[in-house]
Amino acid sequence: MFLQLVINSLAIGSLYALTAMGATLIYGILGILDIANAGAYLIGAYIGYYIYISTGQLVLAFLGAMLSVGLVGVVLHRTVYGPILAKPRMLSIIPLVAAVGLFTMSSDLIRLLCGAGTKAYNFRFPVDVVRVGSVTIQTTWLLIFALTAVLLVVLWVVLNKTKMGLAWRATAEDPDIARACGVNTNSAMALSYVLGYGFAAAAGIMTGILYNSITPALGEVPSYKMLAIIVLGGLGNPLGTVVAGLLIGFAEVMLSTYTVLPIPKDAVAFVVLIIVLLIKPSGLFGQRNKV
Amino acid sequence: MKKLLSTLLALAMAMSLVACGGGDTSTPSDTSTPSGSGGDSSQTQGEDPIKIGFFGPLSSASASADGLSGLQSAELAVRLLNESGGINGRMVELVDYDDALDTTEAANIAERLTTADGVAAVVSGSYSGPTRVAAPICQAAGVVMVSAYAVHPDVVNAGEYIFSQSFPGAVQATAAATFAVEELGAQRIAIVAVDLDFGTEQSAYFKAKAVELGAEIVSEDYIAMSDNDMTSVVSKIASEDVDLIYMPNYYGHAAEVCRQVVLQGLDVDLLGCEGADSWQMLQTAGEYAEGLYITTNMDRDDPNESTQAYIENYRAEYDMEPDMVGASVYDAFEVLFAAMKEVGTDPVAMQEYIANMKDFDTVTGTLMYYTSSGSAVKPVQIQRVGEDLQFHSYSVIDDISIIDGDNIPVVEY
Amino acid sequence: MSAYVFSISATAAVFVLLALSLNIITGYAGQAMMGQAAFFGIGAYTAAILTETYHVNFWLALILGMLFTGLCGAVLGLISLRLQADFLAITTIGINFVMVALFNNMSITGASLGLNVTKPSFFGRQMGNQEFFFLTLIVIVIVCLLIVKMRRSWFGMALASINNDAAAARSFGIDVSRYQILAFIIGTAIAGLAGGIYAHRMGYIASSDFAFTVSIQILSMVVIGGIGTIRGPILGALLLSVLPEALRFVSDFVSDYRSLVYGGLLVLMVRFMPGGLFGSSSPIVRGSLWVFRKITGKGGAAA
Repeated sequence: MFLQLVINSLAIGSLYALTAMGATLIYGILGILDIANAGAYLIGAYIGYYIYISTGQLVLAFLGAMLSVGLVGVVLHRTVYGPILAKPRMLSIIPLVAAVGLFTMSSDLIRLLCGAGTKAYNFRFPVDVVRVGSVTIQTTWLLIFALTAVLLVVLWVVLNKTKMGLAWRATAEDPDIARACGVNTNSAMALSYVLGYGFAAAAGIMTGILYNSITPALGEVPSYKMLAIIVLGGLGNPLGTVVAGLLIGFAEVMLSTYTVLPIPKDAVAFVVLIIVLLIKPSGLFGQRNKV
Repeated sequence: MKKLLSTLLALAMAMSLVACGGGDTSTPSDTSTPSGSGGDSSQTQGEDPIKIGFFGPLSSASASADGLSGLQSAELAVRLLNESGGINGRMVELVDYDDALDTTEAANIAERLTTADGVAAVVSGSYSGPTRVAAPICQAAGVVMVSAYAVHPDVVNAGEYIFSQSFPGAVQATAAATFAVEELGAQRIAIVAVDLDFGTEQSAYFKAKAVELGAEIVSEDYIAMSDNDMTSVVSKIASEDVDLIYMPNYYGHAAEVCRQVVLQGLDVDLLGCEGADSWQMLQTAGEYAEGLYITTNMDRDDPNESTQAYIENYRAEYDMEPDMVGASVYDAFEVLFAAMKEVGTDPVAMQEYIANMKDFDTVTGTLMYYTSSGSAVKPVQIQRVGEDLQFHSYSVIDDISIIDGDNIPVVEY
Repeated sequence: MSAYVFSISATAAVFVLLALSLNIITGYAGQAMMGQAAFFGIGAYTAAILTETYHVNFWLALILGMLFTGLCGAVLGLISLRLQADFLAITTIGINFVMVALFNNMSITGASLGLNVTKPSFFGRQMGNQEFFFLTLIVIVIVCLLIVKMRRSWFGMALASINNDAAAARSFGIDVSRYQILAFIIGTAIAGLAGGIYAHRMGYIASSDFAFTVSIQILSMVVIGGIGTIRGPILGALLLSVLPEALRFVSDFVSDYRSLVYGGLLVLMVRFMPGGLFGSSSPIVRGSLWVFRKITGKGGAAA
């Protein structure tokens, strides 16, 4: 059973990493705790759903949703976050308040536009499960592993092998110095949003396929759980986020199976977070302090 | 500083003025004017419509599907009644509010319905929390409230004006345990419950009855409403040699358990409750739901005219499948309509009439009577998902020692 | 009608108190508190358990609930010294979720069934919405006076300087950490008091009454009203608790869009009026001051 649980936790952990990756990329460059990323996740799941049921093409659903939600991200950056960040702020959490507002709007917009009820992707591989010895591996999990791997490779290539990626890394390191050196920090920020919201959309579709259901409440749990994951991962550190996602997935599965938890599984991430922060106030993988 | 102080004082006065504004115009709002609303409306017989209040979780992201199902059924009930001539010629007007699944909003709504709107009766189409808060307010105002599907035991305990249209959790779970052990022969049972009063109450009563009948409860897991993942729970149950999984939870969880049980290759019976009685369950679980049993109040195969008419009308009007939530709300209205047709809108007379109702024909089967505390007593339906992936009648539990909540020993949980 | 108005007023008054309490932590001490509802809940459950299970006098229970909540706030204050703003924001969100989870699972808090609370009597008469409204109103006035006094005293000056620049404050010899912890204690204690009043007014509390969304609601009131002022949180809380009720009167259509309006308002506010509707730089406040001066013919300076 233990081996089975490890595989289960890997699937869930990968999904968490995928979900939190978008918020990490945005934090990495803008320093915003973007709860609205969960709105991108929700909207992505719905756009993907409509594309999939009308065309039957899953790849198209992923690409279409990632692209359109990524563009929404750029628009939001231009109209909302950019101007807020440009102004001097009384309080560091003002952008977070804007993000909360955007997230509330996205959930309600989906409910009003798409209806309150559950929608099902009904996407199925020809084979549901692969059995290896006593362990069953669900084929949708393989899709999660593959998607996570592909997107991480894409991310690595974009950030390390392209000019835009160089600008991104320079901006993430220090936006003022980067600007002084002639780096186009605006396009780096736009890249953050395209990638960040695109990742969230992909994670939303993946969740919709895995559980075969999407509802307007889909973003509620990710909205806060991904904050815990990105903090554990050291805020803005993509690799740390993957490790943190897998760690939370593992902790949730093991604790809920082998112990009688006095709290729901979803709160585990925060308990781990609070403990880690008390011991190491900069997070698991935090190297530097961003203010 | 003086200026600040005076602003403050002015504000305090303004607030108390706002609060007193209404108080001056109407009679003192002591809680001892039970016949206020009903008395007024009976004077203008045949003129004004009779108002019936309704509230449900319409704008809550997680509960709005149930809110909508309830509201649609409420509107359907009122429209059909008015088309057939209303209450002895008087039309009925629905006054509906969204409680957003928030208890403070529910308290405001209940106050508003019973005082400002002057409704003749109230139907709660909401969950336990809002209904629990609204019940004492209706009771104090002396307005009859029928709760459609909230299961919190304290809802009906608020007083004699409060009735519940659905089974108490105790009844449904006791019926489920009887069915699981006696009809399905389950000996080793795992419970996967939702981590709300809905799940804990049913879980406790199921356990008590199943153990009494000689079965063993192997494991109990409580899953938060927001948690979708059932993979690991089912993996754990797979290693425990279980022959039935009992699921006092809602459609999202139940569907996912069904799917994981098939995918992980478990050979077990699955028994859900009325929380799984929804088209959403069937849509999400698809073919994995085949063979699932549920305890519920609506028998979709019931040849009864009113049941079939409700299903037909609902489908025609909204292009959706009706569910247990909607059917229960519809019944709550039918009960109120019947009372009003017989005794008018005087709350005392209505309360007395409803409390003494016998063998009343509803969409969810025959309402035999109300218990002393005001819970509906009616047969528990066992439905099974057939090959066509629809709910079908499988069995009925009508043993009065099970379906009358007063006969079930209290279990502490 | 009046029962309905008092019901809304009693709810609004509790939220005014909560907004004022959060404003002490967020507005004056500049700390990123995102989980005020957790402390609202701690106060509510503490007071309710004291009166229900231990039959403590209602007034004593209110005070004890407030003190206990303040104690919990002190612990958070200590933690906050170690954390930078973003981490503190997430930690407080986390505390909110963990507390709700505990309320929902501990037997002493009634677990998922919630807790029934007997409404207390005052001079032999059971307290209703009206009495609770006036009680809360008195507390609000006291809290406002306290805040005014605080702002004038050294404590207030220290908080103001922390808010602008902690390092600068430290260089003037101000014990930043002491004042920061004090702000947490006072802010959470008031929220706890609001909780005790709320629990006894509603007669029933459940874990979901103190969910993260409630924290967001309180924060929105402060931000929309005008952070760092007294009138801001008060008016913000009044607006956001009365507006949804007012929208009910308009039509079903409008009331269905409440969350959308709410979220949109939040975004528009921080985007275009980060000082809040009633903050010192707000056109509304400036405009009414201008009108006020025109009428009285005096040239008094703005507060």
